[in-house]
Amino acid sequence: MSADGRGKAVLRRLASASAMERILISFAALVLATLIGAVIVLVSGRVATCQTAATTLFGVGFCYDPLDVYLVLFNGALGQPFLLDSPGLFNPDWNPLSFGLAFTLKETTLLIFTGLSVAVAFRAGLFNIGTQGQLVLGGLATALFAVFVAPLLPGGVVGGLILIPLAVLVGAVVGGLYGAIPGALKAYSDANEVITTIMLNFIAAGIAKVLVSEFFRNPDSQVIETAPIPDWGTILPIAFPKGSDFSILALGFGLALVVGVWYLLERTSLGYDLRTSGEQPEAAEYGGVDAKRTTVVSMFLSGALGGIGGAIWVLMVIGNWLTDVPSLGFDGITVSILAGNNPFGIVPAALLFGTLKSGSLAVQFQTGVPKQLVGVLRGLIILFVAMPEFFRMLGTRFTTTQGREAVATDGGEPLSGGDDE
Amino acid sequence: MSTSTLSQLRETDLSYRATLVGGAVGVFVLIALLGLVFPESIWASLLGIVTSRSTLESALRLSVPITFAALGGIFAEKSGVINIGLEGLLIISAFTAVITTAVIGPGTVLLTIPIVDVSLTAIWIGFFAGILASVLFSAIFAVVCIRYKADQIIAGLAVWLIALGLAPFVATVYYGGVNTDNLGTSLGTWTIPYLSDLGFFGAFFDASPAVYMMLVAVPASWYVLNRTAFGRHIRASGENPKALDTVGVNVSRVRYAGVLLSGFLSGIGGAALSLGLGQFIGNNQTMVNGKGFIAIVAYLFGNYNPVGAFGASFLFAGLDAVQIRLQQVQGYTLPDSIIQTIPYIMVIVILAFVGRTYIPSAAGEHYDSGDDNR
Repeated sequence: MSADGRGKAVLRRLASASAMERILISFAALVLATLIGAVIVLVSGRVATCQTAATTLFGVGFCYDPLDVYLVLFNGALGQPFLLDSPGLFNPDWNPLSFGLAFTLKETTLLIFTGLSVAVAFRAGLFNIGTQGQLVLGGLATALFAVFVAPLLPGGVVGGLILIPLAVLVGAVVGGLYGAIPGALKAYSDANEVITTIMLNFIAAGIAKVLVSEFFRNPDSQVIETAPIPDWGTILPIAFPKGSDFSILALGFGLALVVGVWYLLERTSLGYDLRTSGEQPEAAEYGGVDAKRTTVVSMFLSGALGGIGGAIWVLMVIGNWLTDVPSLGFDGITVSILAGNNPFGIVPAALLFGTLKSGSLAVQFQTGVPKQLVGVLRGLIILFVAMPEFFRMLGTRFTTTQGREAVATDGGEPLSGGDDE
Repeated sequence: MSTSTLSQLRETDLSYRATLVGGAVGVFVLIALLGLVFPESIWASLLGIVTSRSTLESALRLSVPITFAALGGIFAEKSGVINIGLEGLLIISAFTAVITTAVIGPGTVLLTIPIVDVSLTAIWIGFFAGILASVLFSAIFAVVCIRYKADQIIAGLAVWLIALGLAPFVATVYYGGVNTDNLGTSLGTWTIPYLSDLGFFGAFFDASPAVYMMLVAVPASWYVLNRTAFGRHIRASGENPKALDTVGVNVSRVRYAGVLLSGFLSGIGGAALSLGLGQFIGNNQTMVNGKGFIAIVAYLFGNYNPVGAFGASFLFAGLDAVQIRLQQVQGYTLPDSIIQTIPYIMVIVILAFVGRTYIPSAAGEHYDSGDDNR
């Protein structure tokens, strides 16, 4: 499929954009998505019913005030440092180690893993939409391993130190193997990874549900879930309150992986092979890179990172595995795209989405605007980041740039003859 | 592409089709044989289910959204724009159709044509509103992809994610929850006298209006694509846009038409899906639940042939219909998730063995004629 040509076209375009330009585009996309989000909030405020109008524009009352919504969002995500009703006043009771900030950092941590997963594949010229499935199965493997191995271990801190790393490793391996399937299909059957990874997401959800409901179901539970992992085998909060489901250790692990992935991509020969086969496949092939092997390896790595995301979700957040897995894998696509697939860019992008997700709860609670607003913003941001040409056109209208040809993807010529030989 | 590769393609296309059809018929014959030989076994009940009229009815009903989205996907991709956002188009049209009907008031009769006694009820306004919403979304997608040269896969994902967020968002604003209330009415069925008494095949003449639309849309799409000038332009725009440009046809315009048509067709599918039930369900993946992605698979299976795509959609929907009925067989339970994953597993297996499906060679790429946009 011309995904080959397509994937490479995207990457070439991304590579052709300077780092500064990329940051500007991501920023502009954010601003635009925020503005359109505000319009959606305002318009839906006409549909909603409320006693008193939150804001009045042009003599028309609206139930929701977009500015207020965004303020509440950030305030909620940071754990209410400001008292919004009395402007300019700090909240004397603000405690940074509270649930609000913990929730934000929890989401951020999880999104770092899935964002890295998508980014690694993207750098190799592969669009891994299957991080979600890799996360689902990796997380399930982690939970099952922990549940069945825990009785054999001494328990307490010693048991945790043995169990948690092994359980994460199991999640990584299972996620990696599941990621390697579309990689192998791509390498040896030329099956488009976009299609196969989407299909494998549905298959993963189905397999996991059947496995748990038929074989590993917790008999004491009403919903489809595994037995719980003992407390000593989970990643418990440090400094943050008990039950906040966030541990600084997991965040530290995520940040270490960011550096690790950067080092792998930029400083090792495997990373070099991976990047060149993403950016210049012909050159890589000519230079002796085994393209098929690189494809499988990079999808394994990508899947392993997704699997680690699932493992951390299980060990830090849920404490077992249940069918209601949040869409962390899909959010990872947004994070990676927003970060320009740069490992270090993943951190602020994940923090931003963590803030949005966490703040959306405060928004729903305090202003009545449904938390699904974040889902809309997520889609809008992806849409705008996908169209750098739009911002370049805007940019060239207002400034006089050097007039560089922005996109050199085709000009009508097929990029690679791979489709129709 | 040289003529030799073309004829090769045609040969592989034929053998591919023969394998698929042969496989489906083979499985059916096997079930029939086992069912007749072992009348007490699960195979016998399976044979009973497969040959029952109500299974055919629900298979037809379930294949409506998949088929329409698949037809839409064919037009978009044949014109050179890969529309991976079909799922989003189904979601937005399904939701808009229900909420529009609800706002007008489900029982409202807006217009009655006296002689034939046909009424234009709110539900049909909702139906058209659903289509309109889908066309609007596809128009945004088209502008983003064609005018602003966005990556089609990422933009398609964005369309899906926006719809996936927007529909439950508006539902929550209006109803206080992600599901809409039940309208208390649905599209219902149109029964054709006499023909509907035909036993098994009577299912074709005692069906939802959307089923009739589907049975018309499939051959119509095939005709438009293969026998009209517009269809030729669509195909050329995806295969060899330069040649099309050379003969003086505006490639962008053809691609806009292709994408808008995909919005129109998916809109019918989505509206029929929710109005057939009388409600929009918005939790998790919404009531659309991957049907847009199955549609992509269906047209890949059907090798971009509308009739083939319908065959594949019908096969997937039929599997689902059989599965639902199988749950009711006494003393026998099969986890429904296993059956629901069968289409996806089939795709992976077929992609692994058949390898690449043939896709339009310029699909996914921008075309710059060099004389506009700059």
